[in-house]
Amino acid sequence: MSGEKLLVVKDLTTTFATLAGPLPAVGGISFDLATNETLGIVGESGSGKTVLARTIMGLQPRTNVTVTGSVLLDGHQVVGASEDEMRRLWGTEVAMIFQDPMTSLNPVMRVGRQIDETLRVRMGMSRRDARARAIELLELVGIPSPERRYRAFPGQLSGGMRQRIVIATALACSPKLLLADEPTTGLDVTIQAQILNLLDELKESLHMSVVLVTHDLGVVATRTSKIVVMYAGRVVEMGSTRDVFAHHRMPYTRALLESSPKITSPSHTRLATIPGRPPNLLQLTQGCSFAPRCAYASDRCREERPELEATAEPGHLFACWNPLAHDREAVTL
Amino acid sequence: MSEPWGLNPEVLVPHGLVERPEKKRPLGPLFWICVGWIALNLIGAIFANVLPLENPLFQNYNFINAAPSLHHLFGTDDLGRDIFARVVYGSRISITAGVGAMIIGFGIGAPLGMLTAYKRGRFDLIVTSIMYVVLAFPAIVATIAVLSFWTPRNLFKIIVVIGLASVPIIYRVIRAATLSVATKDFVVAAKVQGASDRRIIFKELLPNVAPILISFVLIGIATVITLEGALAFLGLSVNPPTPSWGNMINEARTVLAQNPWLALFPSLAMCLFLLSLNFIGDRLRSHFDVQEVKL
Repeated sequence: MSGEKLLVVKDLTTTFATLAGPLPAVGGISFDLATNETLGIVGESGSGKTVLARTIMGLQPRTNVTVTGSVLLDGHQVVGASEDEMRRLWGTEVAMIFQDPMTSLNPVMRVGRQIDETLRVRMGMSRRDARARAIELLELVGIPSPERRYRAFPGQLSGGMRQRIVIATALACSPKLLLADEPTTGLDVTIQAQILNLLDELKESLHMSVVLVTHDLGVVATRTSKIVVMYAGRVVEMGSTRDVFAHHRMPYTRALLESSPKITSPSHTRLATIPGRPPNLLQLTQGCSFAPRCAYASDRCREERPELEATAEPGHLFACWNPLAHDREAVTL
Repeated sequence: MSEPWGLNPEVLVPHGLVERPEKKRPLGPLFWICVGWIALNLIGAIFANVLPLENPLFQNYNFINAAPSLHHLFGTDDLGRDIFARVVYGSRISITAGVGAMIIGFGIGAPLGMLTAYKRGRFDLIVTSIMYVVLAFPAIVATIAVLSFWTPRNLFKIIVVIGLASVPIIYRVIRAATLSVATKDFVVAAKVQGASDRRIIFKELLPNVAPILISFVLIGIATVITLEGALAFLGLSVNPPTPSWGNMINEARTVLAQNPWLALFPSLAMCLFLLSLNFIGDRLRSHFDVQEVKL
């Protein structure tokens, strides 16, 4: 891995103050990301992926939320930064793509203008230059006849096209880091692949780093260099994509992998599921938060929380008292 | 050159991306009739003293309680004043009260509502709490109480009192409308593109709130005109002999049996004006309604 770290997250916690007490949505997460790398953050619904992404963005509200630890974004500290300080980073250092392209575009503004605006305000471009650049961006994200689409309203475009527009808007100020929070959840499968491939191509051509937040391991399998597996707000396993898929040690990772449908399994095979539900973050137990749902859980799991420990592979960490044997056959997707 | 499959290539949209044509339902003739009627009323109100109308205060004792005729289109009242002239001059007071009160009401309520909905936090909590406390007190009672004691009454005072009384309601509607927009991802998206608060309020929020704002202004004006009528009925509007639609109806009450025209025409003028305003407001709201297309 190159020594240049674009994003360094250290001991990051995000705690919401609720009427029932503090809710640790993200608890003590550390990872880093080099330039031109793609990091996948995976986990079930409610595992804290989106909260993590929004905390890295500096988007947590200032009231009722406590963020501790450190997020260094290209040398700038995000934790504790004021909105004015963040505003200087937003767009140029880091940009974000949201889950639902239906709501992430202003319905009463022509899509071209939504890209224009950013260029004119942030880059100080003239109206004409901004328009030319916006059309260029539309072309870059693979929108056919961009001059015509420039004048379209979001409601006139399909979901896939809208997500392309959202990506174009995010790319307007050439950010160094692109955070994609479940960018394909609102789209159907064929469009999903197109959008993910597009992100991949753009990452290469624009030398960006990408953080891809998803619950779908199939999405991250071929497009990320690193994976962080989250459960109940904590990292339970992380490492290079290869290691996580081939040598995963944490039973939760395996359960996640097994609950992805495989094209090689015979038809009418029942899809494996993880029994039970994610834990209530308000009532976390002393032990491993996955223990109640884990087939390998022992008494120790229920009483003592495992910390991340290293494996033979560099950068590959897991948190489990009863890790799976690492010579397991790789799970293929 | 003929197409191989008899298909127009323009029809085939690449990548399976669907395009929806830009189409809008026309506003319809009734809408334009209503707009015309409002415009006519406004012209009458603005140019009342230029138009060939009789003096609305001139008392012609030869024609008392006269029925409509060519000479007096709407007839005359119990003091021999021309009802048509009084209805036209009366529209001045009524429309001015409606528009004026809404300028005050929206001038305060709308910016405050948008700001608190966008900013949230303590500021929102304090302002909203105050507004709800005020809202809990019946506005009409407060209006009547203030106008009873704040004498001598004139149009300006009526406008100020009604305008201020309408602030909490306007605040609440605009805040709710803004709130539903401000929580959408595109506002966060604009923010993380580095847009300033002012830019987000004017470029992202305002255009989305505008349809509700416009139709609510129109309906608000209509409500204030009715309210002015109600106040006039209680003798709390402008002092006679100045005509307003409300106090004309009030005066007609006493001579309803002898001269029904006197009550009919100002009522009709008010009714049609309000109907037009409400219809325009309603039609505009549905016209601007952005249809969320679900795939």
